[in-house]
Amino acid sequence: MNRRNLLGLLGMSPVALAGASALQASDKKTDQTKKGTTQTGGPKLEVLNPRGLPPPITLVPMAKRLDTLDGKTVYLISDGFPGADTFLNQISIWFKKNMPSVTTVYRLKAGGFADDDPKLMAEIKEKGNAAIMAIGH
Amino acid sequence: MVTIAFKDLALTNAAKRGMPHERICFTPHPVWGKTDEQMYAYLEGNDPVSGKPLMKEVIGALTDPLTADESKSGTITPPTGAPTFIDTADNLQQQFLDNGMTDFMPIILPTRERVDAMLKATSHKPDEVVGKMTPAQGAFPAWSFTVEQVAVNAVMAGALPDYFPILLAIGSTGISALFSSTNSLVSAAIINGPIRDKLQMNYGIGAMGPFNQANATIGRAWTLMSKNLDGGGIAGETYMGSQGNVINYNNLIIPENEKDSPWTPFHVQKGFKPEENVISFFFGFNITQGQGAKGLGMKPIPHYHEAMSANVAPFASLFGALFILDPLVAHGLGDLGFKTKEDIANWLQKNTTVTVKDVKTMLFSGLPRGPEAAGLTDDSVIPKWPKADAYNFVVCGGQTNPYHQLANMSYRLSVSIDKWT
Repeated sequence: MNRRNLLGLLGMSPVALAGASALQASDKKTDQTKKGTTQTGGPKLEVLNPRGLPPPITLVPMAKRLDTLDGKTVYLISDGFPGADTFLNQISIWFKKNMPSVTTVYRLKAGGFADDDPKLMAEIKEKGNAAIMAIGH
Repeated sequence: MVTIAFKDLALTNAAKRGMPHERICFTPHPVWGKTDEQMYAYLEGNDPVSGKPLMKEVIGALTDPLTADESKSGTITPPTGAPTFIDTADNLQQQFLDNGMTDFMPIILPTRERVDAMLKATSHKPDEVVGKMTPAQGAFPAWSFTVEQVAVNAVMAGALPDYFPILLAIGSTGISALFSSTNSLVSAAIINGPIRDKLQMNYGIGAMGPFNQANATIGRAWTLMSKNLDGGGIAGETYMGSQGNVINYNNLIIPENEKDSPWTPFHVQKGFKPEENVISFFFGFNITQGQGAKGLGMKPIPHYHEAMSANVAPFASLFGALFILDPLVAHGLGDLGFKTKEDIANWLQKNTTVTVKDVKTMLFSGLPRGPEAAGLTDDSVIPKWPKADAYNFVVCGGQTNPYHQLANMSYRLSVSIDKWT
């Protein structure tokens, strides 16, 4: 599934953003695995929805982009999963070979993978121009 | 940058967090276990989602001007779905299955009458918010849910109304049984107090198997709650366990065999009174049998403590140890001089050791830090866990054999069941 389709399923395409719903995403995703509904007779029943209540989604405007990376400092952030450090080191090597004017700074984010690291974020804002975060393993 | 295995998770979670257009570039998966050359080749290759050169995508993500959509602010209120569904029984079963609201086995359809019967088992109002739950704390937005929504899931699992306070207590903790980790983690709950007998729970022969309605359906309801109350359990999106775990079907529900135990019940260890009904939660990798280890062949009394130490030694230190001891083992340990659970915990903490060299080669097994690390060499012998509270014990079983099982799991918390009656 490409991003456009997936965002469409989320109801978050440019056209349908107002109807966005993570819940809908889940519903429609599982619809795709549907083997086909039966059309069995018999009396109809009314049953209750078992789902909880997702929180409202506050849209976060993305940060203004740079005009160029030339001469800029790019932070390379690992979330601590195995392999992220060595992968980011390869990105650093790639910049040295292909865009030597770019300075890279490697940092391991503090805490668990989902934890915020305010100290690091403050450092990036003060000393960096951009950041790449590596997630996965 | 995200490895391709986490594509759906990354895109949907970014959207749920308010960044539906977050610029994410994808690499092949995995990076773990790959050489420098292989990873560099990833960078020289294409983004597997866009099909375009990966590093060109990365640079574009940092420098291409924002679109109007990427600059949007505001709030979206996700729809909660219809409050009820109307169809034939077969079609409703299919609908619940198709929409990921089951454990892929038939459910009891949650009719108004059945849900109302469940609600009569608590003094709490149907619209009272019980708590918030997320597939993984911090990683996904938490959903809230009401007493009635817990009741719907309880009915679906086949739970009887008398079990309902236990399920509300589970819900109040916000602990999902389907924690989203690539590690295929499992959850356990120890139940203490008179409610075990009131509900005719099984803490004897076959206690952790499919031999008792309360044990089985309480565990199943926890799994259904973990799918429906927080949007969890969607493989590839809100559940990432690489292989999954059969225990996730109905979890480890362990009523303690208090009457046959020589030791203090688990909930009393945690500060509750013996007459209180309490549920205690554990979380971690898995459970395994303890038979056959060294020491169990010793006569006249098997050296259970040595076997327990040998069995627990290979565990990952990320989580602790939960021993499930048949009453025969607990009494045997008592005969060997371990008069309390704390006695055996202290012995295991002192005598279960590993070398620094071994720890360095293990995953999820952190080395001591700070002052405790001073002077350590590769040959230094250190405790498996630095504190005795990493070892926990519950007595459960029917005394058909002096066996133990053990789980690589950590204690989380204990909560009252009685407040939900």
